[in-house]
Amino acid sequence: MGVNFQRLDGRGTYDYRKITITFGIDRGCCHVQIGDTRVMAQVSCEVTTPKQTRPNEGLLYVNAELSPMAAPHFEAGRPSQQGVELGRCLERCLKESRCIDTESLCIMSGMKVWAIRVDVHVLNHDGNLIDACSMAAITALTHFRRPDVTVSGEEVTILSVEDQDPIALGVHHMPICVSFAFFHQGKYLLVDPNEMEERVMDGKMVIGMNKHRELVTLQLTGSMLLHKDQVLRCTQIASTKVQEMTKLIEEALKNDVHERATGGQFGSASSQDPSHVTSHVTTEKTMEEVDTEALRELARETVLKGRETDRESPGMTRAPDITLLGKQTGRIGEGGLSSWDVEDIEESEEDDVEMIADTNVKVVRETSHISKCLGIDSSEDSEEDVTETLAAHHLGVHESSRGASGDTTIDLTTALNQQKRPAPGRERGKVKR
Amino acid sequence: MAGMELLSDEGFRIDGRRPNELRRIQCRMGVFAQADGSAYIEHGNTKVLAAVYGPHDIQGSKGRAAVHDIAFINCQYSMATFSTGERKQRPRGDRKSQEMTHHLKQTFDGAILTHLYPHSQIDIYVEVLQSDGGNYCASVNAATLALIDAGIPMKDYVCACSASFIDETPLMDINYTEESSATPQLIVSILPKSEHLVFVEMNSRLHEDQLSRVLDIAVKGCSDIYHILDRAVKEHLMEASIPLSSDT
Amino acid sequence: MALEIHLATSRVQKDLVSNEDPKHIVTPGEVITADSGFMRGHGTYMEDDKLYASVAGCVERVNKLICVKPVKSRYNGEVGDVVIGRILQVGQRRWKVDIHSRQDAILMLSAVNLPGGELRRRSEEDERMMRDYLAEGDIISAEVQAIFSDGALSLHTRSLKYGKLSQGTLVHVAPSLVKRRKTHFHNLPCGASIILGNNGYVWICPTVNEDTDHTGGFIENTEPVSLADREVVARLHNCVIALAQHRMMLYDTSILYTFEASLKYQVSSA
Repeated sequence: MGVNFQRLDGRGTYDYRKITITFGIDRGCCHVQIGDTRVMAQVSCEVTTPKQTRPNEGLLYVNAELSPMAAPHFEAGRPSQQGVELGRCLERCLKESRCIDTESLCIMSGMKVWAIRVDVHVLNHDGNLIDACSMAAITALTHFRRPDVTVSGEEVTILSVEDQDPIALGVHHMPICVSFAFFHQGKYLLVDPNEMEERVMDGKMVIGMNKHRELVTLQLTGSMLLHKDQVLRCTQIASTKVQEMTKLIEEALKNDVHERATGGQFGSASSQDPSHVTSHVTTEKTMEEVDTEALRELARETVLKGRETDRESPGMTRAPDITLLGKQTGRIGEGGLSSWDVEDIEESEEDDVEMIADTNVKVVRETSHISKCLGIDSSEDSEEDVTETLAAHHLGVHESSRGASGDTTIDLTTALNQQKRPAPGRERGKVKR
Repeated sequence: MAGMELLSDEGFRIDGRRPNELRRIQCRMGVFAQADGSAYIEHGNTKVLAAVYGPHDIQGSKGRAAVHDIAFINCQYSMATFSTGERKQRPRGDRKSQEMTHHLKQTFDGAILTHLYPHSQIDIYVEVLQSDGGNYCASVNAATLALIDAGIPMKDYVCACSASFIDETPLMDINYTEESSATPQLIVSILPKSEHLVFVEMNSRLHEDQLSRVLDIAVKGCSDIYHILDRAVKEHLMEASIPLSSDT
Repeated sequence: MALEIHLATSRVQKDLVSNEDPKHIVTPGEVITADSGFMRGHGTYMEDDKLYASVAGCVERVNKLICVKPVKSRYNGEVGDVVIGRILQVGQRRWKVDIHSRQDAILMLSAVNLPGGELRRRSEEDERMMRDYLAEGDIISAEVQAIFSDGALSLHTRSLKYGKLSQGTLVHVAPSLVKRRKTHFHNLPCGASIILGNNGYVWICPTVNEDTDHTGGFIENTEPVSLADREVVARLHNCVIALAQHRMMLYDTSILYTFEASLKYQVSSA
């Protein structure tokens, strides 16, 4: 961390990496990607006998799996220290916060209840597993549909999905965890630490919260000492982040519902879209090169401008000691510009996002994942964004031949750029076409 | 459980305490001869024994992963099979105990001056004899006393206290009944002199705006506990060192 | 479920608490002095120009140096200390010895007097014979030769008075209770020898003839010990424990006085 508070990957201190939420073909399968951290959650259900102490309540099991696939130092078999910690944190976040209506899972009091099981698998470990896992788990739970049952006397019949529409779980609220990493005895604070940052951090705080600003779990661990106001400050940041992430999840769920309803393409298969996967080496080289150059220039400008505003903006003090900072909280996205008058800007921003999302839904039917760039406008990132936009545009041209393939791309960076500065006309024009 | 009110209209809790009162704390240091340091503590009906061995040479497989320029702290949290209302099958090794072990280790990693003992290991064994809520808090307080008894240098005492929030009232040091009735639960460990937080854990739902008040009462509880512990330590020292001083 | 059993009771041994002014007692985290003119010794740490205690105990001041001495702690070695230790491990040209310190002490093969007593190079044969000289579990007396940078101690037994201990009993007491004196080897007039290790290990054995013992210290004397000797050793053993229990300093006179005082109590089978 230098004086200008840029992290190794170019993010600012309170920025998340890019978050992507994808769903599987089956209900209750969710794939969350934060930067290079990939996590998959799968919900399943079965009928069991309830606990004797709570005969009217269904059961919820949460299990987190750290396989050696995710990182070489994870061992298969007995859960490691980290595995136990992750599992317990998810358990506290989902189970002890009672976010799932377990009473509605009762089929016959004391005899038969549904047991819901969430298996969270870490596919790739690049730090901040807890946030990714909690997002995946709660999204999967919300996405999940259990089969309907009929009870006649002692007889319980589970109706097949074809006969009767499956039922969603009663989700009271959506708790999401936000992780903070502390350095130098709490002097520096980072949101969403990646693996490298996690290795060198002094301690970590995980805050689980829902959009009603209710804390469901808070955990401060590590060998460092903090003051009370530092904790309170983190909860403020977390509440902003949670609002945004909830919005993202809701958006993703809404899109999925829409795709399923309209018979569009959904599920993980469609997310493995060739044009997206190969977007770094697209065939349209000439076009890409030109555009990245321009965009890089653009990004640099934005960053510079952001720094200027940083210096100018009186509400924002990027002092090393976080206790010195004002009461305002950070926000996701767009690292260069960190003005701290959050509330109003953010709202307008979100409106913008939705607006653009809508246009995109109409125009761009391509990759089925909802990609929302919450990273920063480092040159690399914007490069990636451009390729996507281009691909979308490119395919948009051939839309008629492709037909309505299920896809939505929300490009937040574009949205932000557009909101922050006079529209970079060329690019916008393409999207709108 | 239904119909039971945790806070009466007169402002008394289920065990007759006021919201800002601790349970009775009794403690004793040096209960084992074999261990380098040991202590026993009671928080109301929660009873915990702690024993500390070390610093000594690194032993066992766990220590192999240790960093060698600071002392390695090895903790073991276990609950006696008879400690809970329902007999426990496994005294240790289940998820919750493992988590607790991990939390104890982290708590004391921050408080013990580990850099003074390179290539060494400090063992902290905690046994819950009777559980009535606040097991973590009692364990931390007992372990602190045991560490002091063992003469292991620490920055400060580590004091832990729990808190809850019922009927718009923050409660200090909650017992099992209060803990198990879907109320928010906040556990805090602090270094009482500087009021630095070493460990914080929160469960169940609590609105963000209330956190500050609940945190305050937990910290207040910790500093109350500190005064009780400090008095016990001083008494223990007087007992131990006066004959010594008359002799040297 | 809640049982009313309380194990913790405040039992102050009134007779031992005298009214004389106690020393300056501090507990961890307590500020000893805010004066920056002092030097930081053991049991203290400096933060923001203030000197804090890190252990609970009495403050000791030597000129500008401030230390806090804990009532009970592991042994902190000093060069020249007499220690009693138990062999834990036989390694490459060295033995590891438990001396109740924070790390196992090391006794190098080159730091012992080999049988025969003569000075000679340590051959490979000696390396192979190491376990014959000192095996795991053997008890030795030794002197601290040096302290390594990480705090580990190196011992030597290159004097006729040190070496393997054969028949006797070992008592563990707190290291702080052993008074530092010129000699820690005492042949008590009651017919037993006592070695007060600085590390809190006390060795009591029947006195043996000067000529036969101390021949390099690797020959184990396994002759039967007479009942009278055993009784003396056992009585001394209990005296040391009694003194330690009441936190009285251990040295030859205090032990002898206790021994004499205990003579009016006879061994009983009950």
